[in-house]
Amino acid sequence: MKKKRWDSVEIVSFISLTLLAIVIVVPFWNAVVISFETLSAYVKAPFSWLPGEFTWENYASLTKQSGGLLRAYANTIWITVVGTVLGMAVMVTTAYAFSRQFPLKKPLFMIMLFTMYFNGGLVPTYLLVKNMGLLDTHTAVILLSLASTYNVIVMKNGFSSIPTELPEAARIDGANDLEIFWKVMLPLQKPMLATFTLFTAVGFWNNWYWPMLILNSKDKVVLQMFLRSLIQIAAQMANEVGTSLASELTYAKGIQMAAVFLVMLPIMMVYPFLQKYFVKGVLVGGVKM
Amino acid sequence: MWKARYIYLLLLPFFLWMFVFQYGPLYGVQLAFKKYSAKLGIWGSEWIGLGNFERIFITPAAVRAIRNTFFISIGRILLEFPLPIVLAILIDAMRGKRLKKIYQTIFTFPHFLSWVVVGAIIKNFLASNGAINVLLISLGLDKVDFLTNTPVFVAMLFATANWKTMGWSAIIYMAAIAGIDPELYDAAKVDGASRWRQIWHVTLPCIRSTIAIMFILAIGGIMNAGFDQIFNLRNGVVSKAVDILDTYIYDITFEAVPNYGFSTAVGIFKSAINFILLLIANTTVGKLTGEKLYS
Repeated sequence: MKKKRWDSVEIVSFISLTLLAIVIVVPFWNAVVISFETLSAYVKAPFSWLPGEFTWENYASLTKQSGGLLRAYANTIWITVVGTVLGMAVMVTTAYAFSRQFPLKKPLFMIMLFTMYFNGGLVPTYLLVKNMGLLDTHTAVILLSLASTYNVIVMKNGFSSIPTELPEAARIDGANDLEIFWKVMLPLQKPMLATFTLFTAVGFWNNWYWPMLILNSKDKVVLQMFLRSLIQIAAQMANEVGTSLASELTYAKGIQMAAVFLVMLPIMMVYPFLQKYFVKGVLVGGVKM
Repeated sequence: MWKARYIYLLLLPFFLWMFVFQYGPLYGVQLAFKKYSAKLGIWGSEWIGLGNFERIFITPAAVRAIRNTFFISIGRILLEFPLPIVLAILIDAMRGKRLKKIYQTIFTFPHFLSWVVVGAIIKNFLASNGAINVLLISLGLDKVDFLTNTPVFVAMLFATANWKTMGWSAIIYMAAIAGIDPELYDAAKVDGASRWRQIWHVTLPCIRSTIAIMFILAIGGIMNAGFDQIFNLRNGVVSKAVDILDTYIYDITFEAVPNYGFSTAVGIFKSAINFILLLIANTTVGKLTGEKLYS
């Protein structure tokens, strides 16, 4: 049987989407190639499909600096693991609770919702951390980004979508709310929990704003800060030796791009698992509040 | 209430955290009406009424930040809001399940990176000696200063924000399109509608409510003109045109002699307008389409 010919919509979509895919991939490819080539090869050809002159040197020099990349990696992993475990624990319990009926549910929910739309802002939050004596601690970094009301609401909708007969049956069998939560509801929402665990972990991994404001000891640095300061130092160096601002980023380009790749790598590794659940409607619940 | 004791127990950790780290900072909001002195602390500092707020409107840099915030946000609504809808329709229309999946994987990926990483990649790519300019020169064209020519930089903000997030934003519309009853398309086909007409008369009307909700969210976010992106891409040459309220608050908070009272006031000013915009957008779209975010 002959395949149906492509109609004009299919042709337009294929061409435009292919172009878009190229536009998205090429800057990444460019960065990765630069990270694997020598500075002289880079200067000769800032863009090439394959490294002009292959080298591991950029990666090696990143790991050599004491208190640099490896320290930042360790700190980031620590913050991500602890933050994700604690954050998921408080968010999942809250989401489940709000999927049940109980006295004062509505006002408590409104109290939570309010935080989505109004917050004290930079200075009050900074002063709070300072007054609690948490400046320059990973504890503050974790606590400031611990939970997201938005995630709680989406997960609440996930729990609400479970037919009420299931928890009711467990209740008749004598289970209390905690047992229903742990033995009935959590196992039923495993894909949702996996998705949000990954989202939360990615959030901690990418966290740079509060770490930048709060952490100042060199040994406390996280990856995103490390990368940021690498870029800034390069810009300053280039300015000092007098190159124009526009070409400031030439300095140590290979090392910068090697750092970019290493910061990105773990995200690329968990990405296939994340993507599995995208269109499955896990996220759609969030919009239909 | 005793019957629900375990429910309250489950809520306890989150609410404790929320009261300290979300509501706690609200205590410091009083600084907006005070002249902050580190020695006297938040509570002891002297009240000065609305002085900090009045100062916003007579400080040129603050007024400029407000103007830039609106300008950039409106630009984002015009240039960034519609594209994910188009993208979702195009992905839906494309032939080939495998290819669809691969493309979608590519389109969504940049969303999961921070603007620190994406900023580094983009600055590398668009630098005056970067890949794009090498390409332009090899085609016999002039170099473009993407990072230091102000109007080009602003256009670049919209383009790169689309580059990073349009694939992700499209997902919500793709889910809506997937939920459309196939019979509607069959009926349109029977009536002789072409694929383009089907998109116009079936797909778009069916995802109207999703578009409305996303529009409310976009309007509610007008005061957030994209701090992460601008903070990681800006430089001294373009900052006058792209410094928004959030970068301004950052700059005045961490300058040599900060005025915490004033910084707080700018932050409150921003949050308050944001809140009002969200309420207005919610009722307007609610009246138009019958869809509301919360009622």
